[in-house]
Amino acid sequence: MYTRYMLGKGGKRKFDEHEDGLEGKIVSPSDGPSKVSYTLQRQTIFNISLMKLYNHRPLTEPSLQKTVLINNMLRRIQEELKQEGSLRPAFPASAPPAAAADPLGSSSREAPPAFSQPAPAPCELGGAAALEACLTPASLLEDDDPDTFCTSSPSAPARLAPPALLPPEKDSFSSALDEIEELCPTSTSTEAAEADGPKGDSSSGGPGAPQRPEGLQEGGRPEDPKLMDSLPGNFEITASTGFLTDLTLDDILFADIDTSMYDFDPCTSASGTASKMSPVSADDLLKTLAPYSSQPVAPSQPFKMDLTELDHIMEVLVGS
Amino acid sequence: MLLSLPALHLQTSEHHPLFQLPHGRLGPWCSPTGSPAPLSCETGCGEGTWILVCRLLVPTQVSLLSMEEDIDTRKINNSFLRDHSYATEDKTVKLWKVSERDKRPEGYNLKDEEGRLRDPATITTLRVPVLRPMDLMVEATPRRVFANAHTYHINSISVNSDYETYMSADDLRINLWNFEITNQSFNIVDIKPANMEELTEVITAAEFHPHHCNTFVYSSSKGTIRLCDMRASALCDRHTKFFEEPEDPSNRSFFSEIISSISDVKFSHSGRYIMTRDYLTVKVWDLNMENRPIETYQVHDYLRSKLCSLYENDCIFDKFECVWNGSDSVIMTGSYNNFFRMFDRNTKRDVTLEASRENSKPRAILKPRKVCVGGKRRKDEISVDSLDFSKKILHTAWHPSENIIAVAATNNLYIFQDKVN
Repeated sequence: MYTRYMLGKGGKRKFDEHEDGLEGKIVSPSDGPSKVSYTLQRQTIFNISLMKLYNHRPLTEPSLQKTVLINNMLRRIQEELKQEGSLRPAFPASAPPAAAADPLGSSSREAPPAFSQPAPAPCELGGAAALEACLTPASLLEDDDPDTFCTSSPSAPARLAPPALLPPEKDSFSSALDEIEELCPTSTSTEAAEADGPKGDSSSGGPGAPQRPEGLQEGGRPEDPKLMDSLPGNFEITASTGFLTDLTLDDILFADIDTSMYDFDPCTSASGTASKMSPVSADDLLKTLAPYSSQPVAPSQPFKMDLTELDHIMEVLVGS
Repeated sequence: MLLSLPALHLQTSEHHPLFQLPHGRLGPWCSPTGSPAPLSCETGCGEGTWILVCRLLVPTQVSLLSMEEDIDTRKINNSFLRDHSYATEDKTVKLWKVSERDKRPEGYNLKDEEGRLRDPATITTLRVPVLRPMDLMVEATPRRVFANAHTYHINSISVNSDYETYMSADDLRINLWNFEITNQSFNIVDIKPANMEELTEVITAAEFHPHHCNTFVYSSSKGTIRLCDMRASALCDRHTKFFEEPEDPSNRSFFSEIISSISDVKFSHSGRYIMTRDYLTVKVWDLNMENRPIETYQVHDYLRSKLCSLYENDCIFDKFECVWNGSDSVIMTGSYNNFFRMFDRNTKRDVTLEASRENSKPRAILKPRKVCVGGKRRKDEISVDSLDFSKKILHTAWHPSENIIAVAATNNLYIFQDKVN
């Protein structure tokens, strides 16, 4: 663990002080004046959870258990928000049309789906379906291997989402692709063949990455835990820009949509997909910053994504 | 109840952490089949595959074996172990035979002392090779590799009481193996949903019953334990018993689910109880009562108010093991700051001890430690904020019949035994 002590020094201390005010004050949403601290705590945990899923640079394969627990946390918070949203018709949540209802209603879009990629190779569980009558040789269950690859990989490129981390985002993207390459040798031959497509592209995207200045990353650091160290910076930004007043359902929806834009399934990608992600992500990041900076940000170049998603985003922007 | 223990500290010379998840695992104590000889403890570990083997009759004897393809064995003083041991590497299970060698043949005819072939033309006499004693050497040879049956990380291995089969559990599946058959295993539990988006629970640990070879338990990330009987059906997706404690509404928080995730489950030696470890507590369950545990022990409840920080730095996902003593009267588990805790089930007393180099000279008696939770901090107490969360004791083991324990801390293995008066 890079965090040796509960109260660290410097920037970390600031975060902890801010956060320690939340610790232990777990109040129910019904309490009047402490509802704010409850909401703040909830939002903090929500952000932490998002960061964990999409910023984490695991040196080893990400733990499925951790991913599941974090996803459950996000879903629970979103459920709460959904219930609160339904109690307050003033929320613009109801305004956007079906596309917006999608993140609210559809469980597949709610929590940044770390493992909800549309599996390109169908999960051939039919043949391996559990039968009461006989033992199933475990070898039959290996058909799920494409899932493993799709399971672990989307979390890597989805890392592009991190709010307020503009310069290192490129690094995380290239390292995300590096990670996919690392994952390739452990996958079966079929996955390796599929992975060769994006792999080829990532090598072209890779060299460009190190040239990016590591602005928000405070000085050259070893890779792994330092994205988390930049977390205090992120929270400072959110706290200083009137976080609570900006806290609308849209922000959370927006974050969801942003992260889902980076859902990237190497198993289905045509060769050009990986390289297409680069220009998209810079603009997307600006949009991600929008809720935190209270400035309306219009996309400066057309996004290469679904028209319905674009419509929804425009509506949300216009709505706020 | 162990209250004072002389300490024995063994340290490996490697720099990488030995006892790190997901590979590192301590114990179980393995015994030569049928022999009452002193036992050893073994551990697989982190990067690469190393097995630490030590013999406890004379506790200074330790061997560190590297499980790489070209096995490089090291020894410290004399040591031996004759046994099998297993280690998991991510998604593969390997069975190793660890053996000793204290003699070597000398006097080959066709080879010289360095093993080079001699020119037959130079051989004029014949001699019979003799066995000469040599420095004791421990070596490990891979005997079986059980591969390609797991898609996810293996979290548990459990040998069955029939000593013919064993099971390996990953996040979503449990497979049953026969030791002699390496290319096929049978799936006995599968909780993978058809749609991975619906996945909300994973398997965290599994263990066979110590006496009934058809019974096993597995725990989940939602704090539940399922006991299954393999005779009921081929695929044990339907449990025979389901253990879950209802949530305490006064302790509800955002992190309730995460801290209820069970990191370890262990049968008692008697087979009547199971013990589970979740983030803050150890619970003892009676197999005949499914609706709540019979005993709950707080390991480090002072962390309850720090859960948000621990979530942020990932410590909340640490997987602590727990262990019974031979008579099932004392249970032990690890904590942070190199602390480990023991609970006497009969006297209800508990103790916190520390495994650290500063406190552990050979034959030194361990001093009980105390964490100060608030208010005035007495001398020798440690405040919660001073705890070092990078020093965690995840793995512990207890000798099956003696009061000897092994405690793993990052790169160090500590062996403690009861004070001999």
